[in-house]
Amino acid sequence: MLMLAGCYSNNCPLENTVTCNYGFYDAAGTPITYVDTITVTTLKPGYKTVYIYRKLGNVTVTKDYPDSTLTAQGYSETAVRQRKDTILRNKQYDISTLKVPMSFYHNADTLVFAYGRISLRDTLVIQHDSYPYVELPECGTYRFHTLKSITATDAAIDHVEIIQPKVNYDGETNVKIYFNGVVE
Amino acid sequence: MNGTMKHIALLAVALLAATCLYAQEPQNTPQPLMPGESPKPTKYVAVEEEKKHLVFFQGFTLSVDAYGPISYAVSDYGTAEGALRLNLKNTFFPIIEAGYGKCTKDDFNTKVKYQVSAPFGRVGIDINLLKNKFQANRLYVGVRYGLSVFKYDMSGPAITDPYWGGSEAFNKKGISCTSHWAEFVFGVQVKIFKNFHMGWAVRYKKEISSTKSDFAKPNCIPGYGYTTDETCWGGTYSLIFDLNWGLKKSHKRGVNIDIRDIPQQNNKIQQTEQKNKNEEKEGEIDNEERNEERTGEPGTEQSAEEGGKE
Repeated sequence: MLMLAGCYSNNCPLENTVTCNYGFYDAAGTPITYVDTITVTTLKPGYKTVYIYRKLGNVTVTKDYPDSTLTAQGYSETAVRQRKDTILRNKQYDISTLKVPMSFYHNADTLVFAYGRISLRDTLVIQHDSYPYVELPECGTYRFHTLKSITATDAAIDHVEIIQPKVNYDGETNVKIYFNGVVE
Repeated sequence: MNGTMKHIALLAVALLAATCLYAQEPQNTPQPLMPGESPKPTKYVAVEEEKKHLVFFQGFTLSVDAYGPISYAVSDYGTAEGALRLNLKNTFFPIIEAGYGKCTKDDFNTKVKYQVSAPFGRVGIDINLLKNKFQANRLYVGVRYGLSVFKYDMSGPAITDPYWGGSEAFNKKGISCTSHWAEFVFGVQVKIFKNFHMGWAVRYKKEISSTKSDFAKPNCIPGYGYTTDETCWGGTYSLIFDLNWGLKKSHKRGVNIDIRDIPQQNNKIQQTEQKNKNEEKEGEIDNEERNEERTGEPGTEQSAEEGGKE
């Protein structure tokens, strides 16, 4: 009896990171590997003040705090109020898929795609619902998401498409990103 | 005179006919064998015997499970259940089981809490594997179909968003679920006292389907057990009350040919032969003793007689 009561194993999923998975395609729908670097930044709630230092003939410097040494060197200081942000993926290169986390308690995420070879950026806005999920009590609580809509700018992106709205730890591709141009 | 002769002739014919009829009657009793004669093999011997038959419907049994409450006392899950079982020829036992299952699990590490308490039911059949169906003990296998419609609660601690911030506790109550499952049963049952039986059974269970929820998977299904794996094991220890106080039997008379009767018949023949031989030997010994008494020399007269015959 004790054996029956005590025979209990843990079957928690090994791949348990919940991310929205993006697949890269060319404009015609052919899977591609993006050879440029991609940095994904997301905007967070709230605002912050950044300090921009410019000097003719020098690289513009942006800092989160005032730097008196730069002003002493002849840089002009400009304080700008911006949305808070954080880097989710930094300088990924030669990738064909991208795994990006989603917010637990917000209905929309704003992702900024910055590329290495072009100065323009793309902004994706993802509307979604989030809810808790428990597979087994011993596995803890996860946050799953359901994608509702997604929009993107057109600097390097042709269009985007939701193919699997359920975002969980199964690893399926949720969104297809079609970049400009067609692979020959 | 003619009438008297006619009556004598009719009497003679009647006696002859009666002899012929007597000769046609079966001779069940073995004929005594002559010394040195071996018995003829008998293929079939008709024996009229009384054979017992079990009537089709043997009645009901009621049982309660003692394992479920003990399981709840020593673990997170337990049941209180009973069963009503039909007895068909002491071989087939259609059964209906009903009970109430309860599970309260509070994980120490994750602090996630799961609660459910709901009724469940099962239907199925057991088959008695023992060859002798007249005894009260049983060794059986069976199958069950189980169903439970229930609502469960799941709650957990607040989790913090690592990138965007924010924190919120998880507390979902009354998540509806309907579960179906199948069971394979193996068990034994023994008679303890009069109409009281006890028995244990081991059950191998497989979940067929459960309603999927967006929020949680039911960790434990009343009547089934834990859903950690696709299958699970369970058990029952039943206290069984036979409502018929024993088996119902019917007696049927008939002529049956039983192979076991052939050696018995042959034994009778052999016994008769042996008895004849013994009597012959005893007779010879008596003759020798008599001769000894007369002549004083053992076997002289008989030897002379035998020699004279030859």
